[in-house]
Amino acid sequence: MNRAFARFAYRLLLSLHPASFQDEFGTEMLWIFDEEYSQGGAAYMFLDGVISLLRQCSRLEKDRGQLSIASGEIITGPGIGPVRLLQAGVTLSLILFSLNQLGSHPSPFTLSVRWSDRVPCYTITLRAPSHAEVVLESTP
Amino acid sequence: MKSEPAKSSPLSSATLHILLALAGGNLHGYGIIKEVTRNSDGHYRLGPGTLYDNLKKLMDAGLVADAATASSSKRKPVSSKEDDRRFYTLTKDGKNALAAEVDRLQSVVREAKLRLQEARTGKA
Repeated sequence: MNRAFARFAYRLLLSLHPASFQDEFGTEMLWIFDEEYSQGGAAYMFLDGVISLLRQCSRLEKDRGQLSIASGEIITGPGIGPVRLLQAGVTLSLILFSLNQLGSHPSPFTLSVRWSDRVPCYTITLRAPSHAEVVLESTP
Repeated sequence: MKSEPAKSSPLSSATLHILLALAGGNLHGYGIIKEVTRNSDGHYRLGPGTLYDNLKKLMDAGLVADAATASSSKRKPVSSKEDDRRFYTLTKDGKNALAAEVDRLQSVVREAKLRLQEARTGKA
């Protein structure tokens, strides 16, 4: 895969992180990505980046009191707007594409959409190599 | 205000590996990743997202600090490329937390050995 494209996708992923986290660690994370990419180990960093994004966002939402965590599920409330959701969707699509390009392993993501009262509900399931599973679900 | 870590709460794998890596000396982010991989014989791979997420928590808890601000005896960079990299250092509280965790793990191993021994003698 094109190095510039992989870097662009990773930068996009970083741009979704909270601003304070980006300001503090964004440059260093991109530097590590460059170093690891040159050694051929970039695929796992996309998954790591998505998990990091979920952690940061969940912390942010928790601080705002808009997030409830129950039995390993992160349920997003109405605080996440459609633009942010679209942004996340585009980024995840790019990451999925990148992962398919990088390795022959099956994609660790599954994405399903169901409709409830004419409102789309997205469920994204990530499977980490350590068998950890994170489910991000939007509710109408 | 710094949040005080619970004295008895076990550290996560990532946290333990980061503290162990920093126990050997001040390191920058990529240095920590490399050190963790080396210490675990490549079995534990730390990604940058996990690393900085944990570093942020450790810094908030006062267990890790920015080496440039924490100490006047700043570590000399290995190469000119590392000049502008941020180095992290283990604080006194960090060393104490690591020592407490090692003690906790030792007692777990001791207990596990005892139980295994009992199980063996019970079967015999």
